[in-house]
Amino acid sequence: MTKHLIAPGVMALVLTSTAVTAQQTSYPLTIANCGHTLTFEGPPENTVALGQSTTELLYLLGLGDTVSGTAVWFNPVLPQFEELNDGIERLADNDPSFESVVNKKPDLVTVMYEWHVGPEGIVGTREMFHDVGVPTYVMPTECEKKDNLVGLDGTRSELFSTDQLYKSIAQLSEIYDVQDRGAALIEDLKASESKAIEKASGLSLPDGTSGLFWFSSAEIDTNPFVAGQKGVPAYMMDKLGVENVVTSDEEWPSVGWETLAKADPTFIVIAEMDRRRFPADDIEKKREFLMNDPVAREMAAVKKGRIITIDAHAMSPTVRAIYALDQVADALAGYDLK
Amino acid sequence: MTVIDRQVSRSVSGRAWHWAVIAPPVLLIALMAGTALGETPIPWDVVAQVLANKMFGADYPVDRIDEGIVWNYRFARAVVAACCGAGLALSGVVLQALLRNALADPYLLGISAGASSGAVAVTVMGIGAGAVSLSVGAFAGAIFAFGFVAMLAHAAGGGAGLRAAGVIVLAGIAGSQLFSALTAFMIAKSASAEQARGIMFWLMGNLSGVRWSDTISVIPATLIGLFACLANVRALDAFTFGADSAASLGIAVRRVQVGLIGVAALVTAVMVSVTGSIGFVGLVIPHAMRRIVGTRHSALIPASALAGAVFLIAADVISRMIIPGQVLPIGVVTALVGAPVFALILIGRRTV
Amino acid sequence: MSLSCNALGWSVKEKTIVSDATLKVRTGEMLGLVGPNGSGKSSLLRMLAGIQKPSSGRVCLGETPMSNMRQRDIARKLALVEQHANTEDRITVREAVELGRTPFLTALRTWRSEDDAIVASALAAVDLKGFEDRLWHTLSGGERQRVQIARALAQAPDILLLDEPTNHLDIGHQLAILHLVRGLPVTSVIALHDLNQALLCDRICVMEAGRIVALGAPSEILTEARLRDTFGVCGHFMTDPFDGTAIIRFHSARTG
Repeated sequence: MTKHLIAPGVMALVLTSTAVTAQQTSYPLTIANCGHTLTFEGPPENTVALGQSTTELLYLLGLGDTVSGTAVWFNPVLPQFEELNDGIERLADNDPSFESVVNKKPDLVTVMYEWHVGPEGIVGTREMFHDVGVPTYVMPTECEKKDNLVGLDGTRSELFSTDQLYKSIAQLSEIYDVQDRGAALIEDLKASESKAIEKASGLSLPDGTSGLFWFSSAEIDTNPFVAGQKGVPAYMMDKLGVENVVTSDEEWPSVGWETLAKADPTFIVIAEMDRRRFPADDIEKKREFLMNDPVAREMAAVKKGRIITIDAHAMSPTVRAIYALDQVADALAGYDLK
Repeated sequence: MTVIDRQVSRSVSGRAWHWAVIAPPVLLIALMAGTALGETPIPWDVVAQVLANKMFGADYPVDRIDEGIVWNYRFARAVVAACCGAGLALSGVVLQALLRNALADPYLLGISAGASSGAVAVTVMGIGAGAVSLSVGAFAGAIFAFGFVAMLAHAAGGGAGLRAAGVIVLAGIAGSQLFSALTAFMIAKSASAEQARGIMFWLMGNLSGVRWSDTISVIPATLIGLFACLANVRALDAFTFGADSAASLGIAVRRVQVGLIGVAALVTAVMVSVTGSIGFVGLVIPHAMRRIVGTRHSALIPASALAGAVFLIAADVISRMIIPGQVLPIGVVTALVGAPVFALILIGRRTV
Repeated sequence: MSLSCNALGWSVKEKTIVSDATLKVRTGEMLGLVGPNGSGKSSLLRMLAGIQKPSSGRVCLGETPMSNMRQRDIARKLALVEQHANTEDRITVREAVELGRTPFLTALRTWRSEDDAIVASALAAVDLKGFEDRLWHTLSGGERQRVQIARALAQAPDILLLDEPTNHLDIGHQLAILHLVRGLPVTSVIALHDLNQALLCDRICVMEAGRIVALGAPSEILTEARLRDTFGVCGHFMTDPFDGTAIIRFHSARTG
C-alpha cells in the first residue's frame, strides 16, 4: 500500500520556491518548546532525529543533509527519500541508547515521542541531554494538550488538531532558517487537508455511521489496541462526521472485542506496518482474525467488507495523517451506506 | 457424633459422594455468572437462550454477535478461568503439603519466571521467527525453568525429609531470580518501553484472549491434576509430620514427591502459558480452605479445586467490569483480593 | 518377626556415619541403643526403619531384605517414632493417630470400624483418652510424644523403633513413656541418652563413632571401663536400697 504518497508536487514546490519571499531567521532565536526554552545561535548543522515523523519532516524541509542519525521507525520512508535515507545512520529501529545519540555530537535532537525523550523518557530526560549541551526539540503534537504520564500511550486533553503539526513545521523551518520551504510545505498540506475535508463532508454519511481504528494487539485473540477519542484517528473521524465506537480518551486504549462487536462499527480501519513484534502487527493476521473470529466475523463492517488499510504511521501525528484522511474518505465514498 | 456417623463421614466413598453433590451445582452457578456478566450488558434470557441453543440444540433466534460473545468469549473464558483456578489451587495444595512450607505456591518452582522468559524470548527477541506462539514459548520457558530448578535441587543434594524441601525452595528462589534477570536482560537488550509494557500486562495475567481452543490443553491439565491429587490423598496426609514420617507410614516418598511436584509443575506451566501468571490463587486458596474444611486432603483437595475455580471466575468477572470499557489484568484483581486475605490468615494463625 | 542388619554402613561423601553394623534384634525384646552424641544412633535407627538407604550392607525384616520390600509392606510390620516430629497443620490428636492406619488403606480397602477400634486402643494405650479432639499445637511435649507413639501403635507393628523418646521431657513423662514401651507386646529398639534408663532394657547396644562396640545384657555391657572409654565419664554401679536394682552413679567427666 503505497498509494498515499505525499503529493508529487510538494517536493518540487519546496525545492524551487525561491520565488516565495524568503523570511530570514534572526539569531539568536528563542523558542518555547514543551515547557523548555531553547536558544539557537545559528541553524543546527548536525541533527539526530528520534522518530520517523520528525525525520521525514526534516527531509520534507530539504534538511536531510543535516541529519546524522535516526531511530524509531514504523513504516518505510516516503519513497522519494529512499536514497537520502539509506545514507543516514539508523541508530536503532526502536529505542537508541542515550550515549549512541550523544556520541553523534548533535547540535539538536528532534523528538517524536516523549516516552523516548521526556519526563520518563527511556532514552533520557530532556535535562540529561541539556546537561551535556545537546538541545532537544519535542514535536508540539506530542506535548501540547497531551499528558504522557496518563494511560499507556498518553492522553490528550483536547482533540488532536493539525494546527499542532503546522506549528512543528513552522518552528523547525524557523530554527533551520528555511522559513520559505516551511511556509510552502504548510500551504501545500493545508490545501490537501481542506480538499480531503471537503471530500469527507461531501460524503454526507448517514447518521450513526461509526468507525474503529485498530492499531495492533498484544496477542491475536486478546484485547486490541484501538484509537481513543482524542488522537489522530479521532481527528479523521471528526472531519468525516463519523462516530468513534471507542469511548476512552487514552491515545491507544486496549478494549475488549466484546465491547467493540456490540458497538458494531460501520467500518474498520486497520494499520499496516513493518513492525513484527506482535502477530497482529501483520495486516494479514488482522484480516484473518476479523474473518474467522466467531464474534468479529459477525460485525457488519466485516460482513460487508468495509475494512480499510492505512499506514500505521498515518494514525500518528504526521503529515501522512492528512493523506490518510483523503484515503479513508475515498474508501467510504465507495461504500453503499444508505 | 455417633460412631456410625463418623464411619460414614470418613469412608472414602462417602466423602467422594459428598463433594460430587456439592461441586457440580456450585461450579455450574459460577460458570453461569461468569457467562452472564461481562463488559457489555446482555440480558439473562439471551444468555440462557444461547446456551440452550449450543448445548441442547434448541433453536431460539438470537443475535449472532450476542451468540458469539456468550458462547465463544464468555463461556469459554469462564471454563478456562475455572480450570486455571482449580489447577493453580491444587498445585498450591500439593506443594505446601510436600514441601512442608506454608509459603510454597506454584510459582515457587521458577515456573512463572521461566514462562515470562519464554514469552519474552518469543515476542521480543523474535525466537521462533513467528512460527512459535507466545503460549508455546511460555510453556517451554516454564518447563525449562522447572527442569533447571529440579536439577539444581538435585545437585545440591537433599535426600529425603525437611532438608530436601528446604533445598528445593532455595533452588526455586535462585531459579526464579535467574530467569527474572534473563527476562529483564532480554527486554533491556532489544525491546522498547512499549513492548515491555505489553509484556508486563501479559505477566499480570490476562484472560481476554482466551477461546475454546485453549480448553484443549487446560481441561486435561486440570483433570490430570485433580486425579493425581485424589489418588494420593493419603500420601499427602502422611506428609503431615514431614517426609521421614511419611516414609515410616509406608509412603514411597521420592516417587510421590517427584510425581506430584512434576504434575503440579506441568499443570502450572499449562495455565501460565494460556493466561500469564495469575498470582495468589495457588498460595491463598489452599490456606483459606484449610481454615474451613481442615487439613485432611480428602476434603482439602476437592474444596481447594472448587474454591479456586469459583474464585478465578469471580476475579475475571470483576476484572472485566471494574473499569467500564476496559479490562484490568486479572492478576491485579487476584492480588488485590488475595494479599489482604493472606494477611488475615497469617494473623489468624498466630492467635489460634 | 525379627529385625537384623548385616555389615551396615552409611557415609555422606567422605564422611562415614555408620560402618559395619551387624545386629540381630530378638523377637519380643526391648533393645536399648546408647552412645555419645554423634555416635550414629539415629542414623542406624533410620536405616533399620527403612527410611534411609544404607551405602553398604543390608537390613532384613524376618528373612526378607528390606531393599526388596515395598515401603508400605515395611510400614505394616514396623513403626518409627521420630525424635523431632512436628507440624504446623491444625491437626487433631485423633487425625494424627489415624495416620498410623495409612499403610493398610487402599482404594479398595477403605476405612472400616476396626480401624476406629485400633485407633481407640492406641490412644488408650498411651493414656490419651479424652484428648481426641485437641489440636496438635496445644499439646505439651510429653503429650505430643505420646501422640507419636499412639500413631506408631496404630500401625499395629511387630517392631517399634523409637529415637530418644524421652528427650526434653520432665522426669515423670520420661518414666511414663519408658514403662509404656516396656509393657507393649512388641519388639522394640529404643535410642536413649540416660544410661540408668537404658538399664531397663533387655539388652543394650553401645555405639561409638559409627560402630557397634558392645552388645549384650546391661549388667555385662555397662562396665566402668565402658563408661570411661565410650562416654568419657567416671561412674560406678550401686544397688538401689529401695528395690534392689542396679543404678549407675556418675562422679565426674573426663577423669584421667
